[in-house]
Amino acid sequence: MTIRVLDPRLDPDLEPLTLAPPVAALAGATLGLLDNTKIGTARFYDHLEALLRRHGVREVIRRRKPDASRPAPPALLDDLATADGVISGIGD
Amino acid sequence: MSTTTYDVDDAFAANELFQDRGWTDGLPITPPTEKLVRAFLDAAHLAAEDVVGVEPVRRRRITAEKVAIAAVMAGCRAEYMPVVLAVVRAVCAPEFGLHGTTASTGGSAQFIVVNGPIRRALGMNATHNALANASRANATIGRVPRLLILNVLGGTPGRLDRSTLGHPGKFTFCVAEDEEDHPWMPLAAERGVPAGGSAVTVLAAGAPHQLMNEWTRDPRELLETYAATMRANLLTYSIWPGNYAVVIGRQHRDVLLAAGWSKRDVREYVHERARVRRGEWHGVGKAAVVGRKADDVHPALRTPDDLLVVAAGGPAGGFGAVVPPWYAEKSLAVTVPVETRGEAT
Repeated sequence: MTIRVLDPRLDPDLEPLTLAPPVAALAGATLGLLDNTKIGTARFYDHLEALLRRHGVREVIRRRKPDASRPAPPALLDDLATADGVISGIGD
Repeated sequence: MSTTTYDVDDAFAANELFQDRGWTDGLPITPPTEKLVRAFLDAAHLAAEDVVGVEPVRRRRITAEKVAIAAVMAGCRAEYMPVVLAVVRAVCAPEFGLHGTTASTGGSAQFIVVNGPIRRALGMNATHNALANASRANATIGRVPRLLILNVLGGTPGRLDRSTLGHPGKFTFCVAEDEEDHPWMPLAAERGVPAGGSAVTVLAAGAPHQLMNEWTRDPRELLETYAATMRANLLTYSIWPGNYAVVIGRQHRDVLLAAGWSKRDVREYVHERARVRRGEWHGVGKAAVVGRKADDVHPALRTPDDLLVVAAGGPAGGFGAVVPPWYAEKSLAVTVPVETRGEAT
């Protein structure tokens, strides 16, 4: 006789996640850089911003979360939402 | 129930399936059959799709069905469900910061303190071996949040659980407070739960640090040992203040009670004494981060109320423990009443 057991995991199709469309070209684009406040992020983004500008990125919107462990506040996300794409720092 | 099901030969095969898929913490599970999960939901008076809590950062909904599955897997009995649900609600409170505490390299566990009549109704242990494995209810209730983090919140080690080390409390870390042998106010009552009610208090915590002092009857001397343990944590782990718990065994309580000290007296004394100067980092290998602030004073507790004073432990032995916070005030202890049929017990 068999037994039937239930899947313990979150049902993946309850929470559909979709990727934003890719940025077509860096030249002329506006990009957001979200700083997670971890040590090293700001310096890394300084280099990244310089690199992006060399590739023709027109504007870089840099924002810093108040706290690494909590979500970014809605107003901060609204600022970043005006960009064509956003790079988000995760981890250390 | 909408969940996917799997047919296996027997309980042994079910455990093998869950181990192979990474759906358990490495310890064996009780197979979550539809019948058992239904019984657990019925005991909680919940429908499968009811949402018990939402993890605030990734907005994952933790449904009653998944909580019941985790509780069955952990080895709970159905009547433990009201306590399990209170734990899930507590860790989903925004101030608990569940995602950060789980994803952090800091590697914390959910330290659960249970108060009120539900402890005795479920046969929970508050005496011998209080912080470890002396009761099925303590052991299995404490295991549930970890299984939910693993299966519902993606907290698999190396994926969203990025702990460098973690600690054994991540298997289970649940204590009942001893409310029977002393006049101190229960922790939940101190935190606003009406007298006689049952509640859980959950803290994102590091491993307990056991301390010993059997050589004084002076409450200040005795608490100096607790404060010294906290000072060591400030210097060797994190200097930032937050919620600490102290678990005070009966022999130490006898000293404090003989001197007429209440929990409030304990909190106020420890608040004053558990503090370090930043310059003390010179002595523990952290000279590089002292900077020009060597004389800055860092308390372990922002206020006396940051200290959770828990009475528990066997009758003999001059032992206590300090349970340190994961990381400062980024995660705060949360107290939630235990409800049955919509009523606080």
